[in-house]
Amino acid sequence: MNKCKIVLAEDNSTLSLLLKFRLEREGHELLMAKDGKMAIELIENHSPDLILTDIMMPFISGLEVISHVRNKLETQVPIIVFSSAGQEEMVLKAFSLGANDFMGKPFSPNELVIRVNRLLA
Amino acid sequence: MTTYQYLIDYYRELPFLIKLIGALITLSVILIIGLTIYLKGIRRYQRKKHADILKFKSEYEVMLVEFLYADDHIENEVEKNSFNEWLEQIEVEPAIQDELDDTIKDLSPIQQSIISKLRKEALVKSKRKIIISILYKLMEEVSGEMSDSIKVLYIETGLIDYALKKINNTEWSIKAKSIGELSRFEVKEGHYEVVKCMDHSNKEVRKEAHLYMVNLFQFDGLYFLNELKTPLSEWDQIQILEILQRFDDQQICDIRPWLKSTNDTVVLFGLKLAQIYNQYEINDTLIELLSHKSKSIRVCVIEVLTHLYGLEAKDMLKANFNELSLEEQLSFFTMLEKLVIPSDEPFIEKHLFHKDFEIQLLALKILKSINEDKYKVLNNLPADQKSKAMLQLENTI
Repeated sequence: MNKCKIVLAEDNSTLSLLLKFRLEREGHELLMAKDGKMAIELIENHSPDLILTDIMMPFISGLEVISHVRNKLETQVPIIVFSSAGQEEMVLKAFSLGANDFMGKPFSPNELVIRVNRLLA
Repeated sequence: MTTYQYLIDYYRELPFLIKLIGALITLSVILIIGLTIYLKGIRRYQRKKHADILKFKSEYEVMLVEFLYADDHIENEVEKNSFNEWLEQIEVEPAIQDELDDTIKDLSPIQQSIISKLRKEALVKSKRKIIISILYKLMEEVSGEMSDSIKVLYIETGLIDYALKKINNTEWSIKAKSIGELSRFEVKEGHYEVVKCMDHSNKEVRKEAHLYMVNLFQFDGLYFLNELKTPLSEWDQIQILEILQRFDDQQICDIRPWLKSTNDTVVLFGLKLAQIYNQYEINDTLIELLSHKSKSIRVCVIEVLTHLYGLEAKDMLKANFNELSLEEQLSFFTMLEKLVIPSDEPFIEKHLFHKDFEIQLLALKILKSINEDKYKVLNNLPADQKSKAMLQLENTI
């Protein structure tokens, strides 16, 4: 698989690092954002091939990131959202805004890699 | 010199009040300067502390990720002193011990070296806190093999020992936190200590202990209800139910002993379980509870029996209707709304003019559902012969 650019928006630094390590091992290039604001900057500046975003983040939420990508930037880049238990309503909103897939926390990083590769194929 | 002498003489000649104000101003200035220096010192200390935390956090995060992705497994014998020491301190079920033994055998040299580094770091309380917070947060985010590896790291670095020691701390907040930690890392071996906290005087400790049991032992963990003397708050009950619903295996154990508990909150919780898990086979126990001394339990039993289609209970309640409290009567009419049959019509008609408006309303609605013609007749009665409910439902056919 070609080297793909992925923006990862996640406020838990340990999880970010873990996923970065795992996805880089798969040959992808990871751009990390610790909040939604930074994620939007990275998306605008780097035009990633895929976006991974948490829903609950400081400053700008994952839902706003999806909305920005779909409505303002008008790109169809695949988006996977992470959600915690009890955020089912948020997940539905994420899908209605244009998210392609979601993973409920806690999730297995190996499963995430499979989903990422499937969306990038 | 003469200037100083002049100032001293001038000061001496000043009125007492001016002298006092001057002294106070001088003291205040000294205090402000002192406090400013002190606050600056504190701020510097806090900043340094925060920077240290960030530095250690990023160091430990890297170590953790390395540990979780260290592929270089070895088959050979590994040093297990730390694990054996830990095993000596607490009793571990043989199955759990074998499982952990196998996991530890699989540890690579890199993983062992990380464990040894973290073990040393964990000796310092502040660093230990950082390590625990990283592991704790990550446990909330990842599952599967990765969470098993985090658990191994938690045990092997000796963090488990600190948590087990903290359970016996006299301060409730530390006790509650340690139980929460053991629950998060799924340390079943701590349950002998946790069981002792089931009836703790502090409700937070109790709550953590209850959640620990359910989180780790699923429905079997509910056995603590058999002995529970302290009240199980509504919030605790909701949290326990929420955890139970997460499990794949929804096979519930026998809830009858809890319905017979002397603790009313346990009985109410048992009733919630009976309703959620459709316990049709316990109808007899529920009928016995209709004569419970607590009114709220009796009302709740009627609601559960309604859900479980307790027709036998319906007949009993109908026969004793006048002896029931108003709340029970209302609950019974809600039951009738669901379980009504045509032969109930005379009973319903009898209560069309009940003193309680809600019962009147329910009776009228039930009558409408089983005999619409009779309802039409009632609807045509003159206004002065109608009940409040009839006036409310006027012309709603």
